[in-house]
Amino acid sequence: MSTLTRGNVKMALASVRSTKWRSLLTMLGIIIGIVSVVMVVGIGEGVKREIAHQIDQFGKDLITVRPGTFGAEDSNNIGASTDLLFGLNSTTSLTEKDLKAVQEADNVRLAAPLAIVPGSVKADDETMKNGLVLATNADLPQALNRSVSYGDFFGSDEETANVAVIGRNIAQSLFHDQVPLGRSFTFRGHQFIVWGVFNEFKSTPLSPASNFNNAIFIPYKTAEKIIGNEVQMYSILAKPDKPEDNKAAVNSIHSSLLATHGGEEDFRVLDHDQSVAASSDVLELLTTMIAAVAAISLLVGGVGIMNIMLASVTERTREIGVRKAIGATNRQILNQFVLESAVLSLVGGIVGVLVSLAGVFALRAYTSLNPVISLEAILLATGVSLVIGIIFGATPAIRAAHKDPIEALRHE
Amino acid sequence: MSLIELSNVSKLYGFGDATTLALDEVSLSIEENEFVAIMGPSGCGKSTLMNLMGLLDRPTHGDYLLRGRYVSKLRASQRAKIRRDTVGFVFQSFNLLPRMTVLENVALPLVYKGVSLNKRIKQASAMLDRVGLRNREYFYPRHLSGGQAQCAAIARALVNDPSVIIADEPTGNLDSANSRLVMELLSDIHKTGGTILFVTHNPELTRYATRVVYMHDGAVIHDEQTVIGEVAATARRIMFTVPTKTEEDDLAGVSLLMKHVPDATLDTDESAKKSPKKKAKPRVKSKKTKGSKK
Repeated sequence: MSTLTRGNVKMALASVRSTKWRSLLTMLGIIIGIVSVVMVVGIGEGVKREIAHQIDQFGKDLITVRPGTFGAEDSNNIGASTDLLFGLNSTTSLTEKDLKAVQEADNVRLAAPLAIVPGSVKADDETMKNGLVLATNADLPQALNRSVSYGDFFGSDEETANVAVIGRNIAQSLFHDQVPLGRSFTFRGHQFIVWGVFNEFKSTPLSPASNFNNAIFIPYKTAEKIIGNEVQMYSILAKPDKPEDNKAAVNSIHSSLLATHGGEEDFRVLDHDQSVAASSDVLELLTTMIAAVAAISLLVGGVGIMNIMLASVTERTREIGVRKAIGATNRQILNQFVLESAVLSLVGGIVGVLVSLAGVFALRAYTSLNPVISLEAILLATGVSLVIGIIFGATPAIRAAHKDPIEALRHE
Repeated sequence: MSLIELSNVSKLYGFGDATTLALDEVSLSIEENEFVAIMGPSGCGKSTLMNLMGLLDRPTHGDYLLRGRYVSKLRASQRAKIRRDTVGFVFQSFNLLPRMTVLENVALPLVYKGVSLNKRIKQASAMLDRVGLRNREYFYPRHLSGGQAQCAAIARALVNDPSVIIADEPTGNLDSANSRLVMELLSDIHKTGGTILFVTHNPELTRYATRVVYMHDGAVIHDEQTVIGEVAATARRIMFTVPTKTEEDDLAGVSLLMKHVPDATLDTDESAKKSPKKKAKPRVKSKKTKGSKK
């Protein structure tokens, strides 16, 4: 750093200090902008990691078959993906024929369907408010990599046709009991007996509908009988024979489904990584959009800096004249003012980052959100504030540099 | 080779009907180690001439040679560098930067030259020693008296070892004691080989000069060599002979001086009435009383 630059930095800091209130108010725009962008990105990143964890808990070898073409091609369509994880939004659906095709595909060990069965659940004097009834088969616990903590999962025989396995939260909310085994509830006029309670699933606040802690699982054959026709599955979960057969299983599922659909590719077969990607793509887009809105306040902050720098240039016209008279070139004057606005903005950026870090700790401590702020985000925020200072400081600095020294010296 | 050589230099401001002729084909050459006083009524082009010679401004017509180099057509950045290296400015209102200490103010020209911090402090400190302000280094300009501030400003002008010091009414804001302090300092610089140009409204101060240039309406109307320690002959004439009994006379001020310039034919009565807003009048009067005591 040249001796002039160092002197200018020192002067800029001195000028920030000597006009504390004005500098603080000027920096406020930058601070707010940096805080909002960093926090939004941090929250987005946190949720993304949780979703990845949530998918991870089902095992790295889980293969998901979804109807429709939702996924990579469709990821720009935010409206089509209110439930990010399990494609509840899909308009088309999978049928029992598809399930059979998946089960019979090469390298596939097992496959479990997931279908929503509409209707209300009543137990004794309680009605289920927050939850859903899912139809599935006996392979679900293995597909989800999750065991039943109390009782047992239902089998595929007639004996367990009228039983249900419930999630942790349902046990509490519907039966007020940790282990409501043997108790019963009514669903669409049929009586079901609680056969087992699942271990707790990890969940994220962004996709409550796919929170299996709030689900009641019933055998899909029974569900078919209740509904009176075929169950519409929103997803089929499959596991390969061996984890290393994963790719082969995905391919064979794909080709056998293609055959049953008459060559129409209105489904998607996703392995673990693709599921994570499909979910986080949408989330990333969402985060980017909110961050872009937040970035507008950064822009406003930049305009504030420009405003104050213009005022400062006018105020210090005489100083500019003196500096020019004693030999400062236009470029040196320009550098001085650009540097001053960059310092102002950078200090704002650093304060913003510190406030964001405090905000993250507060969110982690008092909410279920777990925002993550990476070093990259911090460096980027600092860099962006520096760049904003330079860009918005340019116009005032150019004005200062082009002042006529004689006029400037005469200025009162 | 003269230090400064102006030939037929004109400066116009504005355009069309509003054109003002600030300098009218001025030719002037200044040698090294001259101590030149420039006198004349307000608006006669003194400051414009100083700005031109100090390279703050460019002439509209004519040539300017500084140390044998044509400088009238240079770009702003080149002029800035010449200002930095060869010209030292002293202003009427001192123009020290209020947010810097005296030492930092004096060191400022060195900053633009790219001198390292240690050297800057050393040189600036030496300069302050020379002007007698060594013990005021870490004061802020607001803590200095007018005379001290002007001495600090002179130190700042000197720190780059300039070829010429250009002082536009350096004593204009000072009382007589401080004026003397400042003029003695300039005189000292002159004695050690410096070249100084200064504008003044005070005939008394021509005592310090070796040459006095009189200007009127943008032209040099008289140029005389003087002896150090004596008030210039022309300037003295108004000091002792022009009665300034009424306020009118005071207001006419330095313009009256023009009546006594030997080779100028001016309708001074009219010009005196036309421009009766001289700032320097009271000072002329005070000098007068001082002079008559002698």
